[in-house]
Amino acid sequence: MNFEAFQNRVLPAKNKLFRFALRLVGSEEEAKDVVQEVMIRVWNGREQMAEIQNMEAWCMRITKNLSLDRIRANNRRQTQPIDGNFDVRNEALTPHESTELHESMQRINQLMASLPEKQRHVMHLRDVEGYSYNEICDILELDMNQVKVNLFRARNAVREKLTTLNAYGL
Amino acid sequence: MDSKHIEQLLEKYWECETSLEEEKALRDFFNQTEVPDSLKESAVLFRYFEQQRQHKMNDAAFDTSLKSKLQPAQGKMRSLYMSSLRIAAGISVVIASFWLVRTQLRDSASQEVADTYDDPKKAFEETKKALQMISKNFGKAEKAASNINMINEATDKLHSKEETKIDS
Repeated sequence: MNFEAFQNRVLPAKNKLFRFALRLVGSEEEAKDVVQEVMIRVWNGREQMAEIQNMEAWCMRITKNLSLDRIRANNRRQTQPIDGNFDVRNEALTPHESTELHESMQRINQLMASLPEKQRHVMHLRDVEGYSYNEICDILELDMNQVKVNLFRARNAVREKLTTLNAYGL
Repeated sequence: MDSKHIEQLLEKYWECETSLEEEKALRDFFNQTEVPDSLKESAVLFRYFEQQRQHKMNDAAFDTSLKSKLQPAQGKMRSLYMSSLRIAAGISVVIASFWLVRTQLRDSASQEVADTYDDPKKAFEETKKALQMISKNFGKAEKAASNINMINEATDKLHSKEETKIDS
């Protein structure tokens, strides 16, 4: 793989890798570091990666492993993802409405962060990034059954909490 | 898409029976259309997913710093190639000059051989001439040296006389 192929095949995945790393490590700066490390690893090992078919899933798997390494090395609890990512795009909303939307997004974020690790990872990959079950198996190194069970539990937990929150006025 | 269909899809979604296309349809519905109150709680979730999808690194410096980290590997390889070429060129220059000097030395040696005489009598005569010339010159040198000896002896005598005078 030359640099051009790298730019076309690997570099465009950087935002997906970044979001996944952010979900895992919790801080933007660390997520960026992880993505950079993933890119460097893929580039240095490019000769062995010629036969990999799904380059993106492979990069996601490296992202997961490096992020988990980092969490273990830091030996600290995952922090909440930063709140700068809730830019409300609908400008037709009044400030009051947009604040309300911002708050409900924050709640969902907290709700997802409170899920067990595997459920959180599976839900992110499926519902945010839109990966197929097979790809999720590849990325997380889990079997199909575990992926489905974790997704089912995650969605049910979210549904339950959403209903509870709604009862108090989301 | 009517809300009844959406409700059916949602039910399938919670049961994890939706395909990727159906999940995309749900996301599109909740992000584009006015949502009836009964679906508002689910709408927030799907809007959250969509917003997360839009979250980008927003870091122009990332690509440039990454490229600068990746390109040196290429540059290093190129410079390794270049330096090995340079070393090879240096070695070939040394070998070539060594070979040239050696052949020139050999040529000059063979010229000397060609200059000597074929006839042994003539060669003997020439050698005798040369040796005689050397001995003649040696004789001249000896004469000159004996003159120096005379001076040396005279100065020695003077020195010894002076010493006896001082002693007395």
